[in-house]
Amino acid sequence: MSSHASGGSPAIFPQQYRTLPIAVISQAEQQDRCLKQGELQELTDFFRSGAKRLEVAAVLSEHANEIVAAAANRIFYGGSPMAYLEAPPNRQNLPGYNTPLRPRTAPPKEKLQVEAPSYGNPLRGVLEFLQTRLSGDRDPLPDGFRLIHVKRYGPRRMKNSMRDLAWFLRYVTYAIVAGDASILTVNVRGLRGVIPEDVTEATVVAMREMRWRSLNYFKQDAEACDLIREYFDVMITDYLAEKPSNRVRQGISNDQQGLELPENYALSVIPRPRFVMKPNLSETEKQEVIKAAYRQVFERDITHEYGEYGVRLTDLESKFRSGEISTKEFIRRMGKSRLYRKEFYEPFVVSRFIELAVRHFLGRGVSSPEEFQQYFDVVSSRGWHALIDTLVDSQEYADYFGEETVPYLRGYGVEAQECRNWGPQLHLFKFCAPAHKMPQFITQFGDYQKPLPNQHPYGAGNDPLEIRFGAIFPQPSWKGNDHPASFNKDHRRILISCEIGNGNGNSHAMNWGQVPGIVNRPLKLNQMTQLNGNGKAKPQGANVNLAKNSPTAIIEGTYRQLFGREVYPEQRLTAAELKLKSGEITVREFVRQVAKSRPFRHMYWESLYITKAIEYIHRRLLGRPTYGRQEMGRYYDICAKKGFYALIDELVDSPEYIAVFGEDTVPYERFVTPRGYELRSRSSTGTLRLHHERIGSSVPGPRVAENFSGWMKAALEGGDAAHKRAQLQAALLEQKPLSHEALDAVKQLQLESDAAAKTASETVKETPNSQAAGTPQESSPEKAQPALSETGGQS
Amino acid sequence: MSIVTRSIAIADREARYLNPGELNAINEYFTQGSDRLRIATILMANERYIVERGSQRFWQRCPVTPSNSGNPIYRASCQRDQSWYVRLVSYAVIVGDITPIEKIGVKGGKEMYNSLGVPLRNVVECMSCLKEVALDLLSLDDAAEVAPYFDYIIQGLTPQ
Repeated sequence: MSSHASGGSPAIFPQQYRTLPIAVISQAEQQDRCLKQGELQELTDFFRSGAKRLEVAAVLSEHANEIVAAAANRIFYGGSPMAYLEAPPNRQNLPGYNTPLRPRTAPPKEKLQVEAPSYGNPLRGVLEFLQTRLSGDRDPLPDGFRLIHVKRYGPRRMKNSMRDLAWFLRYVTYAIVAGDASILTVNVRGLRGVIPEDVTEATVVAMREMRWRSLNYFKQDAEACDLIREYFDVMITDYLAEKPSNRVRQGISNDQQGLELPENYALSVIPRPRFVMKPNLSETEKQEVIKAAYRQVFERDITHEYGEYGVRLTDLESKFRSGEISTKEFIRRMGKSRLYRKEFYEPFVVSRFIELAVRHFLGRGVSSPEEFQQYFDVVSSRGWHALIDTLVDSQEYADYFGEETVPYLRGYGVEAQECRNWGPQLHLFKFCAPAHKMPQFITQFGDYQKPLPNQHPYGAGNDPLEIRFGAIFPQPSWKGNDHPASFNKDHRRILISCEIGNGNGNSHAMNWGQVPGIVNRPLKLNQMTQLNGNGKAKPQGANVNLAKNSPTAIIEGTYRQLFGREVYPEQRLTAAELKLKSGEITVREFVRQVAKSRPFRHMYWESLYITKAIEYIHRRLLGRPTYGRQEMGRYYDICAKKGFYALIDELVDSPEYIAVFGEDTVPYERFVTPRGYELRSRSSTGTLRLHHERIGSSVPGPRVAENFSGWMKAALEGGDAAHKRAQLQAALLEQKPLSHEALDAVKQLQLESDAAAKTASETVKETPNSQAAGTPQESSPEKAQPALSETGGQS
Repeated sequence: MSIVTRSIAIADREARYLNPGELNAINEYFTQGSDRLRIATILMANERYIVERGSQRFWQRCPVTPSNSGNPIYRASCQRDQSWYVRLVSYAVIVGDITPIEKIGVKGGKEMYNSLGVPLRNVVECMSCLKEVALDLLSLDDAAEVAPYFDYIIQGLTPQ
């Protein structure tokens, strides 16, 4: 089963918090064992306490405002702090926030019985006040604690502070439901550095007040009190802990990067046990260490089934167990064993052997070409034994694993990862790594040296933004290319121009590099024919102008360019259309209004993540894909600070738009990506390509072309010509974008014999882009040409 | 993603407390928890038995297969894999979710067996033998709980 492609957006992969079952299972899973008695007990308790947990969470959620208010009143005075508590922002219409991420909840069979204390009593306020004042178990204020004045604290800080208090309570309820405190630890530890240091004391006082307040709802319920206390205590302790320092990747040579990883990332991964051999370990624990060492070096459990190899290892193992040799020595000897040689040296080329060996003995991938060269040198001059020695004796091994620790994989979460070998490194840590015979790191480093092929900022050939008919056909399962060529902020995408001529009025350039479906003649509004002297519109009576440059054609063309299709009647901007027709606004203004319309926003903004949204809108309005990261970065900035409408204005007012399209031209596609070009011009046979060219470029894309050619073949091969022709025509009419001229061309083609097609196909194969001069189809380009301006713009 | 994780992730995204609907759904998860734990314990306790009986049934149906070729290594690794899968199913039963199976057992599983030269059809056959043996041990209701996870493995490993 292949995995589905995604950009790793949090909309698709939300951050997953650990729950108690997952935490327990993952520990057992890593060691491939069944659950121990203690773990089973833990799970049983968890499930049994489920109803109680939910009850606590429900009551706390219900009284959230009261609890937060109590905490705020404890530390603030001179105003109403609750006035600063804002509802969470409504992100409904932002890009990426409309994904249907609803839980598939079964309809509840029974209602959760929550016994909430009733608050119908009008004396409640007074009672509560008295309770609050008189209760003895409340946490005392620390010595010298000074209340904070609301007004002096300022509205902005008040808002932040109230938001944080609500946030703390919310996360406690999550942790109670999940049964695992990691939600709190990951998010709270290190917050001290973020929330100003001078209010640390006040924050802790507020948390304690929240705890006390929450406990008040469960006075008779010891179990619930324990739950609440447990998670609040974790939160307070974690908040008080110093901000943990970043984890630094140890680098010793110049070609290794010293990278840092914030501690929180390390906290949020599922911990992997490390195995250290000590003389006083029990026999089963020693067995675990040995197993871990086998798994690290051989990537499998070694049992007696390995026959002759197993025997020697047993010998080694017993020496290790008795403490005669250290872990480091044990690892070294395993590396030099015949089994290692047979499993990892003999079946691979040297480059791959080096990569696997670095994984086994250093727990990472090869990090740079220089490092690789060094190891390669060792293997080629002194053999594979020497490489094992080099790795085990290296300074890095000593720094990370020392004498007694079994090497472990240093994947993400454990320490910072490098960029340049990212893909292969993640791949190397998978258990299927030895199944790949091809050296991956060195191939990737090699790719970095090559000139840029078909590129996109997000990976080689990974350009996900191809537009066909304005609809999105994502590849459902994408065979990920995990070594993209490097593409940084200074690179620019290579785009293929599809404009007429080369700018010098020299139009022969259109003959090659021509993409089906492009607009060969831009739609340009000829205002002069529509306006009389004083700028008023001529009345359009029965004498409707059907010329190509009439306002009607312009309007249709604009819709086609912006939406990729004809719009539905209710989606049209009637008012703006009238204004355009009357000459009140220019085409550029019309484009702007259409782009700001509700359907456009819905189609290209609300339902897409931001990068894709920008890319589409850019292609629609400026007629070319974005160039790269620098350009994208600017648009991100505009989108984040000013939003969708500012982005449209930015594009429509840009110097590029004005220079290329001016005031009265409908935008058209000027550039395509290499992949887009490939998609549109792909054809399986020479004949197909021929047909393609015959109908000219009026076929708006490969799909129609393929269907069409299927019919065409049937028509040519079948005996009953008239019947087939009728079928063909019906098919063509269904496909619709073909005009009469194109149909004529098709008919003519039908009348011609297969032989002509055959000769033509040969010619086309040799010079695929020439217009096949001399073959009988010469006349077709002219015939097909007029069709373009009507059907174009669909690309 | 189990129901608990999913609900929390969604609530967190919208910055709100868990709503009563979600709490009810989670409540169901909790109340069935002890049942699921019991089923998983049965599976784990009988792992050896399931694997033994399962492989016998498997060899009856597919006599020509690497594990039945007389090579002790093949035989041992085949049985080891079977016990892995039984254990994965028991993990999944506890969590109430396919994630553990998907991450370890199914993704890349086909590629792995292909590269090892094990015919996938036989692996699938073997899994259905395990399923049958395992379900025989359980009551009807329990079997209904466990069967989907085995089916998921079988679907994931079935060659196209």
